[in-house]
Amino acid sequence: MTRLLAPTILAAIILATTITPAAAHHVGAYVPKDNAVTTNFKQVKFSVQAKKFDVALRLFDAGALRAEMHAHAATLPAGLEAGTRVALQTGDGPEVERRLMVFFAALARDLALEADRRLAAAGATAETRVATGRKFLEAIWRYYNLVDFAVAMRDNKTSVAVRLAFDEAETYVKPATGGAAPADPARLRQPLQRIAQVLSTLIEASSTPPRRDS
Amino acid sequence: MTEAESAAWRVPPRWALLVAVLSIVTAEVGGASMARFKVELTRWARDAMLARPAVHGLVGVRDVDERILDEALVKFDAGLRLFHMHAEGMGLVIIATTMVAATVVRAGAVRRTIIALLTTGGAGYPVGYLVWSILIPSYGLERAKTIAEWLVWIPFGSATILALWWLAGLIALRLIRP
Repeated sequence: MTRLLAPTILAAIILATTITPAAAHHVGAYVPKDNAVTTNFKQVKFSVQAKKFDVALRLFDAGALRAEMHAHAATLPAGLEAGTRVALQTGDGPEVERRLMVFFAALARDLALEADRRLAAAGATAETRVATGRKFLEAIWRYYNLVDFAVAMRDNKTSVAVRLAFDEAETYVKPATGGAAPADPARLRQPLQRIAQVLSTLIEASSTPPRRDS
Repeated sequence: MTEAESAAWRVPPRWALLVAVLSIVTAEVGGASMARFKVELTRWARDAMLARPAVHGLVGVRDVDERILDEALVKFDAGLRLFHMHAEGMGLVIIATTMVAATVVRAGAVRRTIIALLTTGGAGYPVGYLVWSILIPSYGLERAKTIAEWLVWIPFGSATILALWWLAGLIALRLIRP
């Protein structure tokens, strides 16, 4: 028995020193990129900040932002695209910012509604629903994150409400680690509905430009 | 063995050199093909992924799916690049390490075993990246990685590491007992 002990320990050490490093191969890292809409948003935003409204208008006219506003026209406040264009033509930076904020809030809201609809649909396993929920949350955050500062400047309560709902939603899609509760797709619907509702209120309230008294 | 003979480097077996050179050749051909057929390869991978939405967790919403597809395509491309780099590098590693083994290891059976492990391990390991890359569109990122791991990376990588430790031990032993 003791004669077998030394070779067994040696074999275990050899396996540990060979298989462990062999399994730790480098497979590269992925850094999420901007899509055409977020890229165009940043181009327009930075041009407006630099007061280059002619450049911003050109980028808006030729870019994905305007095409996307066309595509989502049915769910957006009436005249959002035309109004954005007018604001760019007249060099009204705050108005451009407000309209773009409404647009991205609407995109995030539509994604939250779609996610809720998918999670409500029967048939999929809990694992699939958690994975779907996680992907929708990533997409919602990618859009909302672009305008969170603009939202917070106008309505801090809405910004906090969205971020709290988002944080809560994230806890339901995270894999269980340590003492944390396991992922729960059923509870995910509530924060998603809250995100959609808060953003709908924001869109409604922000769709009328504030009166500027001079 | 005379002093002049013991000081000379010995050439590894020709089959080991052939495998090493072939590894470098496939790396170069792979790298050139990647550049030449980049669009075709990306299109093939994208179509294959779109044909298997469940495998990749695609939900049919563009804003969600484009990130999933982008990550898979980036990893697909990374797999091809890593194959190119590793096959190039491991070809040279095979030549260097088998030459050390051929020169330093005296016992014939041990020398042949170490050379065989270094050559097969070194040539096989980079193929894992090619396997991973090719399997991504059909099996998804994680499943493709698991298959490549157990089929290629772990067995061939372990063979190389085991042979290198063995060789290092023998060289250390030669320092103690010349």
